[in-house]
This record gives sequence, structure tokens and C-alpha cells, in this order.
Amino acid sequence: MSQPPDSSLDRPESSGQAGTRWAPIAAHPVTSAVIAVLIIASIFFSLYVPIYGRITPKIGDFPFFYFYLLVYMPAVSIALLTVIALQKRLRPPAGAGPDVSEVTE
Amino acid sequence: MSHVNATTFAIVVVLFLVVTGVGFAAARWRRTEDMLHLNEWGLGGRGFGAFVTWFLLGGDLYTAYTFIAVPALVFGSGAIGFYAVSYTIMVFPIVIIFLPRLWSVSRVHNYITPADFIRGRYGSRGLALSAAFTGILALMPYIALQLVGIQAVLTVMGVGTSSSNTFVKDLPLFIAFVVLAIFTYVSGLRAPALIAFVKDTLVYLMVIVAVLYIPTRLGGWGHIFGVAQTHFASINPATKKPYGTFIPTSKSIGSTRLDFATLALGSALALFIYPHSITGTLASKRRSVVKRNMAFLPLYSVLLALIALFGYMAVADKTTVANIKKAGGNSQLAVPYLFQHMFPSWFTGIAFSGIIIGALVPAAIMSISAANLFSRNIFREFFKPDASPALETRVSRWASLVVKLGALYFAVELPHTFAINLQLLGGVWILQVFPMLVGGLFTRWFDRWALLTGWLAGMVFGTLAAYKSASPTASHWASSSDIEFGHTVYIGFTAVLINVIIAVILTVILRAAKVPQGADETLPHQYTADPADAPVPARAGVSFGAASAAGD
Repeated sequence: MSQPPDSSLDRPESSGQAGTRWAPIAAHPVTSAVIAVLIIASIFFSLYVPIYGRITPKIGDFPFFYFYLLVYMPAVSIALLTVIALQKRLRPPAGAGPDVSEVTE
Repeated sequence: MSHVNATTFAIVVVLFLVVTGVGFAAARWRRTEDMLHLNEWGLGGRGFGAFVTWFLLGGDLYTAYTFIAVPALVFGSGAIGFYAVSYTIMVFPIVIIFLPRLWSVSRVHNYITPADFIRGRYGSRGLALSAAFTGILALMPYIALQLVGIQAVLTVMGVGTSSSNTFVKDLPLFIAFVVLAIFTYVSGLRAPALIAFVKDTLVYLMVIVAVLYIPTRLGGWGHIFGVAQTHFASINPATKKPYGTFIPTSKSIGSTRLDFATLALGSALALFIYPHSITGTLASKRRSVVKRNMAFLPLYSVLLALIALFGYMAVADKTTVANIKKAGGNSQLAVPYLFQHMFPSWFTGIAFSGIIIGALVPAAIMSISAANLFSRNIFREFFKPDASPALETRVSRWASLVVKLGALYFAVELPHTFAINLQLLGGVWILQVFPMLVGGLFTRWFDRWALLTGWLAGMVFGTLAAYKSASPTASHWASSSDIEFGHTVYIGFTAVLINVIIAVILTVILRAAKVPQGADETLPHQYTADPADAPVPARAGVSFGAASAAGD
């Protein structure tokens, strides 16, 4: 089992929680920012009702409110798939780290 | 009402028999040597891949009651019912933040329930008990509502309703219940996982056909929306207020945007705190499976949005409106009546089967989750600390029967409004576990006593606020929203804010006073771990010798 060189994941006692969590983010600031923006935007654009709480413009027979909610779902799917793909860049390749060794003892 | 359509009835019976067969056959699916372990009975071997998990979670989260209640709310009040659509969208970007962490730490430490994690993280049996108690309390009425959903369909089918004898009247429900109870007892989580395939096929078929076909009978979507808009703007003579709202407004009458948004956010935060959602999540085999499901489950929400629109179709269909009025204004019957009027009897049979089977899947998972909470966090924790995995599983199996019996009692003996109110309260209650569970996934800063006090405050405030909420037609339990500082806000949302504020203030005080903290058995890197193998079955302190000795 080779240890990832730049990760604190393999030294859980010494670095504490903050170090463990922030290390991969510090290594990839842009990717991390994009992930954060995607997640926050996905939540915000369904949470902030004034954006879509309107009848017009109608799309076909659908008032805007109802059309927006229908179209929003596939959009969230795509956003989250992007997030997952980007997150893979943040972590060392699967199987290389202590993730596996740690339960197999 | 006494006419039972033979074709509809026959199709429902046949599909029910198919599902019964699948439920029992599930015991052999992915069978392992040691079924007497909660990882097997309660989590299906913790080996479900992305595909099975998608069906399992879909069947779990989008319950039959949802299919009945969301359109019923839309039928009765208009746009506010679409909060359910908004919430099932925003829930996935929210939970993708914390759910993979819960999966990882639970996998490493062999946690089966959310309360197991809370016990391990804070070293506090009391805090774990509060989570287990809340979970069981919130699930019981939820299971009852699945049975209420079945009842709504049976009522419209005209089955059993002509008798005044409770037992004869509810006989079909009893039969459905007994079958559900037995296959859950035998097959555990494997049964709902396999039945979910049948359920989803039927539900997708039903929704797609309904969405394409019904508008052509009702004069198109334009007409449906037009009728709804006119109807909800008109004044209800009983309350002297509009019937509802067609679009959430910023005005203080009707359903406001803030009410809509807080209901959606509160429900979204609550959804994956419910033990049955966590059961479905922990049953998956890899961390990536959990994540990918968060991206693909919104496809189910499309379904829910279309189902919500059935409420407007019912408003636009004069026969359905008349039938509901005849049935005492019970808007829960909106979708069953709509289908009965719109579809030929054979397709009504398929649609009704979809709803009935759709009730069995979540009811089974919920009873398994509640049973696991009981056996792990109450029975083993407080009564028999040396319980073997086999004994735990046995207790869980029996507890799942008891939980379902309680739910049946709710559904049959108590007024339905009681179960519905309790379920609304259930959402408020389960949300009070959010700070200790999700907070614990990211930080050990919170003090266990501070969390316990916050939980208690949230529970008490939420229950009282819901009890006090009145409307022109009801003196208590009228709504899940109340007015705070001049704005209509979801009660659960206010309650959890109070909960968090108290937890933060008390933690600061207790930390300053250097109150001892419980032992934390988790390590930071375990929250991102992705072990391929299922955890070692026996927990520390329970040897295999003890397991077999305590086996009987």
C-alpha cells in the first residue's frame, strides 16, 4: 500500500480534523470553488422563490413557476454529476490511500 | 360506492399476488450463510450497487402517501403543494454534502442506525436514545399513512366500504398488512429492494400514461391551468378567503413565498435524517454509489412534479370534484377518483396497484428502520448489552411486527386527520435530530448536553406550535406553518433554529466550564473512507462464541 505523498489522510492523529478536510481543497482551489458554487447554486435557485414564483412568461401552456420546477430537476442532476466528477480530482486514486487498508487491518 | 369493478379488482389482486411472491423469493436473493445478522436482515448485506440503490431509495422516499397527499394538497390549496417538488429538488445538493460522510463512518464502524453513529461520536447513550426515540416516534405515523394511502384506493374501488363493521370494512387492508408483515419478517430489507422494481415500473407507467392522456380528455394543459387559476382565486364562502394560491406570493394572505421556501428547506433537511432514508443509504456498497444516487434521484422528482399536477387535473375534472364532494370533501381521494373517471377499468387496476404496492415498499423499510433503532439503541443499549448479533436480529424482526401493528392501529382506529397531523409533526420532530447528526459529521465541537437540551427545546416548541395552530375550520393542528414576527414560516424550521441556537450557546458555556466530553470513537479520516469490504460482523466485546451461545 503506497501512501499518497501530499495528503494528511494517513496521519489522522497528528493533523486533526481541519487539516484532514482542508488538505485536498488547498491542493485544488479552483476545482473546489467550482464544486462549492455548483452545490450552492443548485440549492439557492430552488430555495429563492421570487426567481420563479411568477405566472409569466408562459412556456407553452405552462405558467413559468411550473415549467421552472420541471426543468430544474434534470439541471440539478447534471450539476451534481459534474460535482462528483470534479470531486474525483480532489482525492488520491481509489485504493491507493489508507481508505482501504484501514478496515482490512 | 358499492359497485366493485371486476376488471380493476382482478388486476389489483393479481399484481398483489405477484408482489407477495417476489417478497418471499427475496429471502433467497443474494443469500448469505449468516442471515441472523442485522447487516443482512436490516441492511440487505450492505452490498447494493447503484442500480438497486436507486430503486430502493426511490421506492423509499417517494411513498404511496406522497402520491396521494401531494396532489391532495394541490387539489385543496394550490401552489403550496408544490413545495414538495421544490424540496425534492434541493434535498440532493444538500445531502450530497453530508450523506457520503455518514456512509463512510458507518461502514468503518459497522453502524446500522443513525443513533449508532451519535452514540459513537459523542459517547453518549442519552443522546443516542433521544435520536432513536425521535426516529421511532416519527416513523410510526408515517407507516400508518402508507396504510391510509392504501385505504384511499380501496375506498374508491368500493372494496369493503359498504359494511359498518370495522373488521369487514378493513379486511382488505388487514390482508395487505399481514402479507407485508410476514415478508418483511422473513426477507428483511431484501424484500422491499426487490419489490421496488415492480413498484417503479407500475408507477412510471401510470404517470407517463396519465400525463400524456388525461390532458387530452380535459381540454389540454392550458385549460387545466386556467381552471385551477380561476378556482384558487375565487372566495371560499366558509372561510371568506380564497380557496388557495396559484403562484406563491409575497403578500400575507394565502401561501407566501417564505412559507413555501421554509417548508421546502425544512423538509429537505429532514428527509435524510429519517431513519428509513439512512437505512436505504447504508445498504449501498460503496461511497460512490451514494453519491451517484444523489445525482440520479432527482429524476424521481420529475415524477413527483407530474404527480403533483394531478391535483390540478382533478380540479379541472367536474366528475372528480363532484365525487370528492360526495365523499365528504376528502381531498385524499382526488387522485384515485381522477384515475377511476379517466382511465378504462383495466388501466385503473394497474394504476391502483402501483399506489398499493408503492405503499408496501416504504412501509417495509420504515418498519425495519424503526425496529433496528429499537434493537440496537434501546434493547441492546439499555437492557442486554451483551446481546449477540443473532439475538439483535431476532429482536428487530419482532419489533418490526410490533411497529407495524401500532401503525395499523393508527390507520384503522384513529381518525385519519390524527395520523396526518402526527406525520406533519413527525417531520418537525425528526428535524430536531439534524444538529446532532449532521453537526456531528463535521465537528466534535458541540457538547452532548447542549445538543440534548437543544433537541428537547425544539421538540417542545415544535409540538406546542403545531398544537396551537388554528384555522377557520380547525382549532388545533390546522397547519404545519405558523406566524413568526409577522411571517408565515414552517414550524419545523423555526424549531430547529431554536434548537441550534440553544445548542451553540450552551456549548460555549459548557466548554468554558470545562465539562468533560464523552469519548469519540471515530477518527477524522474515517469520514472519507471508502472500504470495499463490509465491516467485520461482530462488534468489539461480542465474540462468535457468545453469539452462538446466546443464539436461543
